[in-house]
Amino acid sequence: MRDVLRAEEVTVRFGGVTAVKAVSLALGAGEILGLIGPNGAGKTTLFNAITGFAPMQAGRVTLEGRDVGTLPAFARTRLGFGRTFQTERPFEELTVLENVLVPAFLTEPRRREAERLALAVLGEVGLADRHDQPAADLNLARRRRLELAKALAVTPKVLFLDEIMAGLNPPALREMIALVRRLAERGLAVLMVEHIMQAVVELSDHVVVLASGETIAEGAPCDVMANERVIEAYLGTD
Amino acid sequence: MTTHLVGLGVLVVVGAVYPLVFPGALTIAIAVLLFAGWATAWDVLGGWNGQVSLGHASFVGLGAYVVAIGASHGIAPWWALPLAAVAAAVLAYGWGWTTFRLRGPYFSLSTIAVAEILRLIAINEGWLTGGATGVFIATLPEPFGIDLFSRTAQFYLALAFAAGVIATVIVVSRIRFGYQLRAVREDEEAAMAAGLDPTGVKLRAFMLSAALTAVGGGLYGMVLAFIEPHVIFSLLLSVQIALTSIIGGRGTVWGPAVGALILVGAGEAFRTTFAQANLLIYGVLILAVVLFVPRGIVGELVRRHVRRRYARRAQS
Ligand SMILES: Nc1ncnc2c1ncn2[C@@H]1O[C@H](COP(=O)(O)OP(=O)(O)O)[C@@H](O)[C@H]1O
Ligand SMILES: [Mg+2]
Repeated sequence: MRDVLRAEEVTVRFGGVTAVKAVSLALGAGEILGLIGPNGAGKTTLFNAITGFAPMQAGRVTLEGRDVGTLPAFARTRLGFGRTFQTERPFEELTVLENVLVPAFLTEPRRREAERLALAVLGEVGLADRHDQPAADLNLARRRRLELAKALAVTPKVLFLDEIMAGLNPPALREMIALVRRLAERGLAVLMVEHIMQAVVELSDHVVVLASGETIAEGAPCDVMANERVIEAYLGTD
Repeated sequence: MTTHLVGLGVLVVVGAVYPLVFPGALTIAIAVLLFAGWATAWDVLGGWNGQVSLGHASFVGLGAYVVAIGASHGIAPWWALPLAAVAAAVLAYGWGWTTFRLRGPYFSLSTIAVAEILRLIAINEGWLTGGATGVFIATLPEPFGIDLFSRTAQFYLALAFAAGVIATVIVVSRIRFGYQLRAVREDEEAAMAAGLDPTGVKLRAFMLSAALTAVGGGLYGMVLAFIEPHVIFSLLLSVQIALTSIIGGRGTVWGPAVGALILVGAGEAFRTTFAQANLLIYGVLILAVVLFVPRGIVGELVRRHVRRRYARRAQS
């Protein structure tokens, strides 16, 4: 039942450039979909179109059957989309806890309950002991965790992760992979843009490969990796 | 939190005895308190929410005119002040609704125009506002026999205003709304990813800021007793309100009040000792803050405190 998130024939154009061409994907609860492809393939743009951060010229986006494709980004968040940004975007002047409080207030308007939720999420991503550190002072691995914590604190149904593994050292990478797996086991639907093949292979139930804005292959991770068009797309660009 | 409440307590206690100790220095104290309240109210939008207004004289003037025109029609200030607050919130809503949705510096630029438009309205609609000459407050009611024209009564009203605005900000800084303000200031896209509607948050900040400012404007009208459109709606007043907050420390509870104490105090000292040079010294002061303490005086202290507290906890 891959019906939590459905994107159908999503097309995004910037001026004359078509960054995403009629891409479709579907995702069920507890499932992890890996979205891969060379740089500039349109992964982030597709991500932005689905979550409402980039205008979509054609296509449909549904969340649990409900059409959300015309709603502003913040409204999609409230309905159950949690996203990270490829380049982390913490609220720099706030502490770690305060950063997570902002989305936590969505479901818990009262301070005390919101703080409890935020601390629980920080515990989950392993940042609880840093809760009163200014967000601007975090190192890369912790900024990633904070980014993930902010997305989780909206209590999403679908989690959108844009290259959260990039640049992590091996231990941090292993922890992040384990964390994402736990989240999916808890029932979250996860759409994951990722370059780190180890993470894609270990985590994805299904992989979609984009190149120049088009889906060139999809299927189980090992099948997709062996696909000639995929190998060619990767070798051909870099 | 407790620090803020202690600060508020000190303000109220010092304020309560001030007129008994310095009965001859009430006018300047009223100016400090009004500027403290205005700058703190400005900061709800300008500091906490990051939307710089150079038009807050609009709300000062609106408040002053509502109280003055009300008085001439027999409407007591305690009715006129809430009315002024509502009128200011409505003006802020319409103005914010048209400008916040445009990306870029349109909001800040538009704010300059709005005070100018209100000034022109005040000059041209003489039947209501007394035109270019302005409007007098000839009589005010005397609740419990208190003369609202007396400096002592006005001092306590200004104290209540400043303390009330600061108390409001203390509360706001703790609750959901306060975090929405800061999130939108820091990063609108990230705020949307956290489920916030940036335009809606800015509108609410602007309305609260405007309403609070207008209450102080109404009190100012009573203090002046004579309101001239080119003074009350001046760009200079708007700029002074913004600078008070910026120099004291944007987005901090006490920064704007400290800024008021420094700027009004310094302005007074320079007016008497340096006479003509006072604008120049203003300029130098501003330059010094921008160069050496860009977060403002209190802003810098708060940041150091947060860092130090974290460093201490991280060591232990
Ligand atoms: N805001 C934008 N305006 C114009 N072109 C854009 C914009 N965002 C992305 N693009 C273009 O769309 C294409 C896809 O980019 P992106 O989605 O970031 O790729 P990926 O995330 O797969 O590396 C690129 O050619 C990029 O230059
Ligand atoms: Mg990308």
